Amino acid sequence: MKFKDYYETLGVARTASQDEIKQAYRKLARKYHPDVSKEAGAEERFKEVGEAFAVLKDPEKRTAYDQMGSNWKSGQDFNPPPDWNGGAFTDGEFSGDQSDFFESLFGRGARAQGGRQSQPRSAKGQDQHAKITIDLVDAYQGAKRTIGLSMPTYDAQGQLIMQERKLDVSIPQGIRAGQNLRLAGQAGPGFGGGPAGDLYLEIEIRPNPIYRVDGKDVFLDLPLSPWEAALGTSVNVPTPTGAVLELTIPAGTAAGRKMRLKGKGIPSKEPGDLYVVPSIVLPNAETEAQKEAYRTLQGAFDFEPRTHLKG
Amino acid sequence: MTQTHITWIEGTIVENEVHMTMVELAEAASTPEDLIMAWVSEGVLSPAGASPEDWRFSGDSLKRAKTAARLMDDLELNLPGVALALHLLDELDQLRSQLQVTNISSDKE
Repeated sequence: MKFKDYYETLGVARTASQDEIKQAYRKLARKYHPDVSKEAGAEERFKEVGEAFAVLKDPEKRTAYDQMGSNWKSGQDFNPPPDWNGGAFTDGEFSGDQSDFFESLFGRGARAQGGRQSQPRSAKGQDQHAKITIDLVDAYQGAKRTIGLSMPTYDAQGQLIMQERKLDVSIPQGIRAGQNLRLAGQAGPGFGGGPAGDLYLEIEIRPNPIYRVDGKDVFLDLPLSPWEAALGTSVNVPTPTGAVLELTIPAGTAAGRKMRLKGKGIPSKEPGDLYVVPSIVLPNAETEAQKEAYRTLQGAFDFEPRTHLKG
Repeated sequence: MTQTHITWIEGTIVENEVHMTMVELAEAASTPEDLIMAWVSEGVLSPAGASPEDWRFSGDSLKRAKTAARLMDDLELNLPGVALALHLLDELDQLRSQLQVTNISSDKE
């Protein structure tokens, strides 16, 4: 297990006051909050910052953490000192997202609890949320996936425990990134005869090197040579399902002038569109013949691309 | 755990097909009902129906409620703060979409 320098995570000195720690946390939490930031890795950073703050905002935990000394560096191999009394910290205010490092120091207190409501005598089981990442083609065609989830369940003694569970889920065609799939009765067991809770799977679409996805619309960059753009041509465009569409590029196509293939986006009652966005790629003139070709081009045109820069 | 034969579980896409009562939304978003009422009065959520018993929330309310709950918890925003943040996030989303469509793409590699 690696040591974590919580002061470094928050970017504060070891001598920072509680106010300074709180300010630093607030600033970073706003910056990296996964609902706010679209930066890659923001969610990870947000969790790290939250964990650091959970320790440093609490005078007892901070004192205990400080007692390990200041010689530790982030990423160093670490085991808790033999006289460490981690059992003292089981107040259970944590989300279950902590690092191993955190758990070895402060216990896994609330791991199996989760949820903020107290349960009445007979109640529906708790709803659960999880994320699932699918490929773009799965959104086009639907898919079947077996997923592993840590789910609450009652053991033989009636204790609520977490258990690994496999679910075979049918992903419907037409689902989009950010949407939720509700699996009725597949979450926490009911209490006192109540029905089981529902499982919500939030859909993420794995980034694709060829296509960009925006809601139900899909974008594809299409590089063209200058002569293809100028003279027009016909190109084969792959769709996310593997089908190939023949697309006519009209003469005089400008870079960035997108072409819409209606209804070829993510399918649904009102299907999305597939946008083909042409770009123009200039070949390098390397051989003498190639240079000559460019010179011929130059001679054939009276072309001034910078008229708008002239006063 | 018995799991030998495979029955594929069919789900429903919440955003397209589901309408929720306040109780259902509160459960699904793990949020107290009075907080949902507060969000409605602040304009964060806009259910159909006249009174809380008749309220029907569209499927995308779930995502919105979850976001609102996270923002309140994690950043300690108050009600007007959450309403403003969600409004700005909506605008940001729209602008990002427009950027995609007009292809002044900012994430060009």
